[in-house]
Amino acid sequence: MSKHMSMLLVLVTVLALVAAPLFSQGVADKKASDGLTVIELWYGAAVTEAGPPPDDWVGFQIIKDKLNIDLRITALPSSEADQDVKVQAAAAANNLPDLFMVRRDVLARLVPQGLIASVDDLYAKMPIRTATHYDEVSRRNALFNGKSYGLSDPGAIIKNEGLLIRKDWLDNLGLAVPTTTDELFTVMRAFTFNDPDRNGKNDTYGYGSFEEIGNYEAWPGRRLEPIFGAFDADGTWDMTVANAGLSVFKDGFFDAMVYLKRMVDEGVMDPNWLSYKKDDFRAAWKQGRFGIMREQNAAFAAESNYAPFDQNFPQGEWIVIDPPKGPKGHASIGPYTANFRIYAISAKAEKEGKKDKIAELLEWMASDEGYFLLGWGVEGVNYTFDKHGVPVADGVPNPEYSFTGAKGQVVTQLRNMVFYNGDLELYARYPTYTTAVSKKEMSALDVMREMQTKDWTAAVGSDTLPTPNADLKRFYEQSLSEFITGKRVLNRANWNAWLDEFRKLGGQAWNDAGVAFAKENNLLN
Amino acid sequence: MARKKHSVVTAASTVGDKIFDFAVDFFLLIMLIIIVIPLWSTITLSFRPNAFIGSNLQGMFLAPWKWSMAAYNALLGNAGFIRAFGNSFKILVGGVATSLFLTIPLAYVLAIPTLPGRRYLTILIIVPYVFNVGLIPTYLLVTKLGLIDKIMAVFLPGAISTYNTLIMRSFFEGIPSELKESARIDGASEIRILLMIILPLSKAIIMTIGLFYGVGFWNDFFHAMLYLNSNKLQPLPILLRNILMASGMNEFVEVHAFGDAPIAAIKAASVFMSAIPMIIAYPFIQKYFTKGTLLGSVKG
Repeated sequence: MSKHMSMLLVLVTVLALVAAPLFSQGVADKKASDGLTVIELWYGAAVTEAGPPPDDWVGFQIIKDKLNIDLRITALPSSEADQDVKVQAAAAANNLPDLFMVRRDVLARLVPQGLIASVDDLYAKMPIRTATHYDEVSRRNALFNGKSYGLSDPGAIIKNEGLLIRKDWLDNLGLAVPTTTDELFTVMRAFTFNDPDRNGKNDTYGYGSFEEIGNYEAWPGRRLEPIFGAFDADGTWDMTVANAGLSVFKDGFFDAMVYLKRMVDEGVMDPNWLSYKKDDFRAAWKQGRFGIMREQNAAFAAESNYAPFDQNFPQGEWIVIDPPKGPKGHASIGPYTANFRIYAISAKAEKEGKKDKIAELLEWMASDEGYFLLGWGVEGVNYTFDKHGVPVADGVPNPEYSFTGAKGQVVTQLRNMVFYNGDLELYARYPTYTTAVSKKEMSALDVMREMQTKDWTAAVGSDTLPTPNADLKRFYEQSLSEFITGKRVLNRANWNAWLDEFRKLGGQAWNDAGVAFAKENNLLN
Repeated sequence: MARKKHSVVTAASTVGDKIFDFAVDFFLLIMLIIIVIPLWSTITLSFRPNAFIGSNLQGMFLAPWKWSMAAYNALLGNAGFIRAFGNSFKILVGGVATSLFLTIPLAYVLAIPTLPGRRYLTILIIVPYVFNVGLIPTYLLVTKLGLIDKIMAVFLPGAISTYNTLIMRSFFEGIPSELKESARIDGASEIRILLMIILPLSKAIIMTIGLFYGVGFWNDFFHAMLYLNSNKLQPLPILLRNILMASGMNEFVEVHAFGDAPIAAIKAASVFMSAIPMIIAYPFIQKYFTKGTLLGSVKG
């Protein structure tokens, strides 16, 4: 017994010794830096899985030396839901960092609690940054009671998706690019039943999709918006003055549902569309499973993304096409809105007199020095300039440390705070390259620019409109899906009855709240 | 000398018994398949070379000689992964040590029938178990204690699990009181009785409860996400979540955070590697675990 007891005591002692340093962990990090203004920043990482900039990152030292700021950074969690929890918990404890990225919904809840500082006075103090980052639309994005409470930096590029079709399949079948929904259906049938890849197997489908739903691209989501756009029913909301409201109430929405049901019933839609996740969908088109899809420019044409398709189908070719016109001549790839990343300043930071220092920091980030350092790293280490003056990953001594390399990405984690979708960034992001197998010249930038020339539906601000409660959202999505899968019979009478039920369950209130919000914020076209 | 065989007298199996046995075996076989397929899928995906990602059945039957170690090499060569692993280990060790250090005395005290106010103390412990105080009050408490951005914040708020305490209390109650009485007659204090008599008899329950705590702390994403701000303190579940959220492409540049290893393989490898400590620990603790979960369940 005594032997066991001794072992147990030794074990507990060892564990206690191991645990002891944990009590002091982090204390050293919080020591005040003499003469420096400490600014705590919670940022959205550019590449969440790559890790933060190292402690000896040259940027920290430059910021200390030039701005007298001790910058302490924390990467926010990778999912928006987790970001919201972290920010709101900190807010409840009045423990918000000085500067932090926040979603608009959460910001709208924090502002009335007096936890956020107004930023109206900062625009004039940041002339370089304001010129490139903050236009009228962006300033209005975080406007509450006439005051701006967030610096809305440019987010994702808009209109960077398009409708793509397998041109080699069209050529094999002697078909022309479809321009109407009727022609599209004919092509989808041929892609499904006429062996477009000439492999002798019945293993292809016309259209590929998956449910990618957002608050301005409700069920069936983004990937099918070109179909709904043909019936003037794309997007969650109609943002026109004449027809403002939920698209589901429009006649065209029913017509689009009928068209979609035909696609499913006739088997021209990849049947896995309701179970695919994004990665599955992307793996499927690279395996030649379907011949028409809506895809993002870089996901389609960036070198590593296109490589598996190039390897599998060296003769394969996708082309960007116009969205098909519907019976009344409508056509749209889908709705677009202005995307922003909002950075807010806590009221606590304002009280501590840090606001001007934060403006100084942000303005430095927008200067050439900050822009290149945060965007691409150190010249000669993480990037070089090509003959056009564009930062490129080629030519650095150690490719691992290039801004696209495994070890180089950590120093560009703050790049979302400096990028504004300028030409230089676009050229750097999407270099022209030659594919490995088919030796085609590809450029995700060219693809994007072509996508941007197509018809889109203006819906700026529709992503900020009120969202339904979880029960109503579930009812909405599940019911629509049941109409398509056949659990509910899709005919006019049933559709109208469902709309009545939807209105009663809160759909009408959601519609009215959205329209009121859109009018109040001048969002209608 | 030849060992004498023990004869076992059993009732003859009826057809019904055989059908029942077959049904049970069949059910267990199905359960085994349900459990093994995703595990196997994850393991093979983690070893799959780039060319097989997205292929039919995702290369689940890919022969081992075609396996690629690229994902594991990339993870093990990534300083962030190693650091996160180390942080998780600190949380695991610190958490289990602290939890057992606090739970054992509490359970022991609650197991003393003559303890004044024992009933009220038990109610006091059960109330917050039933009515959780919620996220914000806990966050406020952690903030006031100055624990934000300290690894201890991950395990200290949940260091005592009411459920585990009650299980341990039941176990302690099952130890014959004569042992304690004889120790008292010999002049032992309650602390000495706990240390010298009770704990040596309680290895099974300590290991079992320690395992419960360990699994919880090892997998804890939420508290680390909430309380730890410094990137260098972040444990494996946070990194794992970030890796699982990665798509291998973002809108700015093509990213290769883990070199040229396919992101799908990286995701699978990171899931598998994060499970390895628990996979290793279970066989060693299993004998205690089975015993520990059953002990205290029957009281006579």
